[in-house]
Amino acid sequence: MGKPSDLVQGTLDLLILKTISLEPKHGWAIAKRIQQISNEVLQVQQGSLYPALHRLEQKAWIKAKWADTETGRKAKFYSLTSTGRAQLGKEAANWSRLSAAINLVVETT
Amino acid sequence: MLWTQRGWLKLQTLFGRERVAQQLDDELQFHLDQQIAENVAAGMNEEEARHAAMRLFGNATILKEETRDAWGWIALEQVTQDVRYGFRSLRKSPLFTAVAVLTLAFGIGANTAIFNVMDQVLLQLLPVKHPEQLVLVAERGMRLGDSWGDEDISYPMYRDFRDGNQVFSGMFCRFPTSVGLGYGDHTETVSAELVSGSYFPVLGVTATLGRILTPDDDRVPGGHPVAMLSHSFWQSRFSSDSTIVGKQITINGYAFTVIGVSQPGFDGLEVGYKSKIFVPMMMKLQMTPRSDGLQQRRLSWVTAFGRLKPGIGMAQATASLQPLMHNILQVELHEPTLQHYSDYDRAQFLRNSVELLPGARGWSGLRLYLQTPLWVLAALGGAVLLLACANLANLFLARATTREREMAVRLAIGAGRRRVIRLLLVESLLLSAIGTAVGLGLALLADRVLLAAYFSPDSTGDLPISPVPDARVFVFALAAMLLTALVFGLAPAIQSSKADIAPTLKDRAGSGAGGKQVFLRKLLVSGQVALALSLLIGATLFLRTLANLQGSGPGFSTEHLMVFRIDPSLSGYADARAKDFFRRLTDELQALPGVRSVGLSTMPLLQGYGWTNPVIAEGYAGDPGQEQRPIFDEISPKLFSTLELPVVAGRDFTPFDTRPVVLINEAFARKYFAGRNPLGLHIGMVDDRLATPDVPNLEVIGVVKDLKYKNLRDPAPPQGYLPYLQAERFRFMTFYLRTRPDPGQLMEAVREQVRRLDPNIPVVDMRTIDQQIGLSLTTERMVASLSSVFGFLATSLAVVGLYGVMAYTVATRRREIGIRVALGALQSDVLWMVMRQVVFLTGTGLAVGGLLAFALANLIRSQLYGLQPHDPFTFVSAGLVLSAAACAAGFIPSWRASHVDPMHALRHE
Repeated sequence: MGKPSDLVQGTLDLLILKTISLEPKHGWAIAKRIQQISNEVLQVQQGSLYPALHRLEQKAWIKAKWADTETGRKAKFYSLTSTGRAQLGKEAANWSRLSAAINLVVETT
Repeated sequence: MLWTQRGWLKLQTLFGRERVAQQLDDELQFHLDQQIAENVAAGMNEEEARHAAMRLFGNATILKEETRDAWGWIALEQVTQDVRYGFRSLRKSPLFTAVAVLTLAFGIGANTAIFNVMDQVLLQLLPVKHPEQLVLVAERGMRLGDSWGDEDISYPMYRDFRDGNQVFSGMFCRFPTSVGLGYGDHTETVSAELVSGSYFPVLGVTATLGRILTPDDDRVPGGHPVAMLSHSFWQSRFSSDSTIVGKQITINGYAFTVIGVSQPGFDGLEVGYKSKIFVPMMMKLQMTPRSDGLQQRRLSWVTAFGRLKPGIGMAQATASLQPLMHNILQVELHEPTLQHYSDYDRAQFLRNSVELLPGARGWSGLRLYLQTPLWVLAALGGAVLLLACANLANLFLARATTREREMAVRLAIGAGRRRVIRLLLVESLLLSAIGTAVGLGLALLADRVLLAAYFSPDSTGDLPISPVPDARVFVFALAAMLLTALVFGLAPAIQSSKADIAPTLKDRAGSGAGGKQVFLRKLLVSGQVALALSLLIGATLFLRTLANLQGSGPGFSTEHLMVFRIDPSLSGYADARAKDFFRRLTDELQALPGVRSVGLSTMPLLQGYGWTNPVIAEGYAGDPGQEQRPIFDEISPKLFSTLELPVVAGRDFTPFDTRPVVLINEAFARKYFAGRNPLGLHIGMVDDRLATPDVPNLEVIGVVKDLKYKNLRDPAPPQGYLPYLQAERFRFMTFYLRTRPDPGQLMEAVREQVRRLDPNIPVVDMRTIDQQIGLSLTTERMVASLSSVFGFLATSLAVVGLYGVMAYTVATRRREIGIRVALGALQSDVLWMVMRQVVFLTGTGLAVGGLLAFALANLIRSQLYGLQPHDPFTFVSAGLVLSAAACAAGFIPSWRASHVDPMHALRHE
């Protein structure tokens, strides 16, 4: 099982921002979603998820709202702010550039 | 937008901590529940599902802490913990806390009290626009003519500077004087300031009510009966009457219109002299009856200020004003009053220079006078605070040893050294904060008492220096608090954080307690003894100065003697009427039961006043312009019998003297008639307005014993007395009454008598002559008593410090001493072994302190009377007192050491 520290520094932020870019999600759903989309490769652990969420909230990239889930329980839903959306664009572009570069290096040798 | 959002979140996490933390719990619980639900869905039973979820979840506490970390208040949280812990540990040792707080409260309180006075007298800038641009314009060199003070110039000279200079954006001048103010049915004497019309505009001082005085209010001599009130006087005397503008008041019997009230906080330009009322310069003749001075070129009486144009420095301005000064001097040389001076004097006169002095703090006689005493007191107070810090450092070091285990445990379970140092520093800060709070209270109290004793409140109950601390004083106290906490807390904190963990935890503490630490503590104690000795020597010097001054006496008997002053000219009395009033009042007072004798003199004794005049004397060769001028006074026939001052040769005045006669004192006779019988010889008074009289015209009819004139400090100067009955001009008159009962019992009757003759004449400064002498010694008494208090505090601190260190040394050496005794050491051997250290520590301290005092004593030479700064008796007695106290303090632990029971001591460990 891949540990969160295996993630490249800063990628967790990108994953979170991307995951909630379509609709607001609570922490659990964010972790599940990342797991599913990555075909169970990326496992985000609570130990890094929640500090990251709170850090992003303090930076005002995401905002939180308490709302009912489909099962009727109260949960804290995170969504992107306009700053966060801009940040997502920047981070995604960065990531593409970085991964393409790494691919180049890895495949050339 | 982003910032407000972020700020809002920060504030929520700070002030809504409980709620936010609860929400975090909810959020994590929700996550956990979801995981459990999923596990159940995957087929686990309830119990298994919970455990699996918890396993996956990991350490919830760490998770929470890391999340909270993201909120960014972790440092604050830790400091809050430290503060809470600090409070708890201080509460746990109340004795330690009480001693430390009291020590600090005295140290910081004393310094704050002194700073409060010092700030107002010496440091604060005037509350005007750009005070740093203000300069005082003075004349230096051979200042021919009459002068009120070294920094004063004549009004015409001020005018010439004002109109001719290129360097000032504006100039103004002022003159302080007391006036009789009438409003309603009440007349009182208040301090006023005569000001040029440019005064308020150039200072940039505005009016709260009405308008300020302007140059248009200051054009025609005697033509502007208008006045401004100071804000505080308007509040206290006129109850903040908002309709005061346009109302009439009387000043010295003349009707004046109030045109405005100054801005709050502005009380004129002189620290120690609060101007209540401001009057245009052109009203000088009305304010100081019979003395105009607006036209006299060589009568220096105004203090002149200029505001430098931006970009012009003092040196540049001085250079630019010098040619102007030369032109003024050229004109003044042709004044008739300068014609009788020698060519040499006149040549010197032309070389006079202009000097600019910084004017940002105004001008103040009180400041000149109190400067040295205040700095001396500040230095003594600082030394006491230093001693207090040394004591506290000592206490903290001692405490550190008892807390060695605690610190070792903290370090062992992972506290960083910085965290330990921070914890201990927070404790020191807490102590010093409490000490400072108590100290501020003490300072306020001390200043109230001291200032009320030092200055007699004026008619509005106002003190010239306020005991109430302002923001600057609080800042000072805060700085003192931080600094002391660092000074006494840092070294012990660093030491503690270096604790050697392993041996301490293995319970071998105490056996090898750092030799370095003990050395540091001994060094501190020696330093304390040194400082305490210096303070004791200083205190003894000041106390003996006071005793010497009191012992020297004024030269006449002070028992049952009272004094008061009146000034009928302020109530519109012309000279002849005033003279008649004096005569009638004398007769009435003489008839009062209980009054033995009444004497009058124009100049009050022992109040720092003096009327000096150059003289020539029969058969005496000497230039009257060059020499120290004798002091003169106009007196009534019975003054000397009232003072019980013997006439040693010749006779006293009588009411029937018609020829020009004069009495002189012994000092006068010694100087001008050395070896001759002065009776029947003549002297002449040189009048500055006229040439020197060709023939001395005043016949000496008697010689009286010397008496102290201005104050008790200066030896009796040559003095001449003229009969007031022959004088023609009068302002105030001082009455002396020798009474049969205690003068206090007669004061009301005397006041009543004056009221009956004229209710509009206020009686000023009525007191016994002993009180008068007491007042003339207030500064000396203040310095002596404060330095004694400091000396006592310092000695106590040093002695307590010494005791502490010796007791500690003995405690740590118990085992060793036990072994010595077991091996046959005598009690006296042990006693001496410990006492030797006491003597060594005290001796080193005394030696250093003696040298320190020897080096510093010269700085206070000017403050002493009747003894030398290196007075051996003082040095030896202070040293003896301190060594006796130190040895007594050291003897207790030594005696305890000598009575150590070896069995007990050895079994103890």
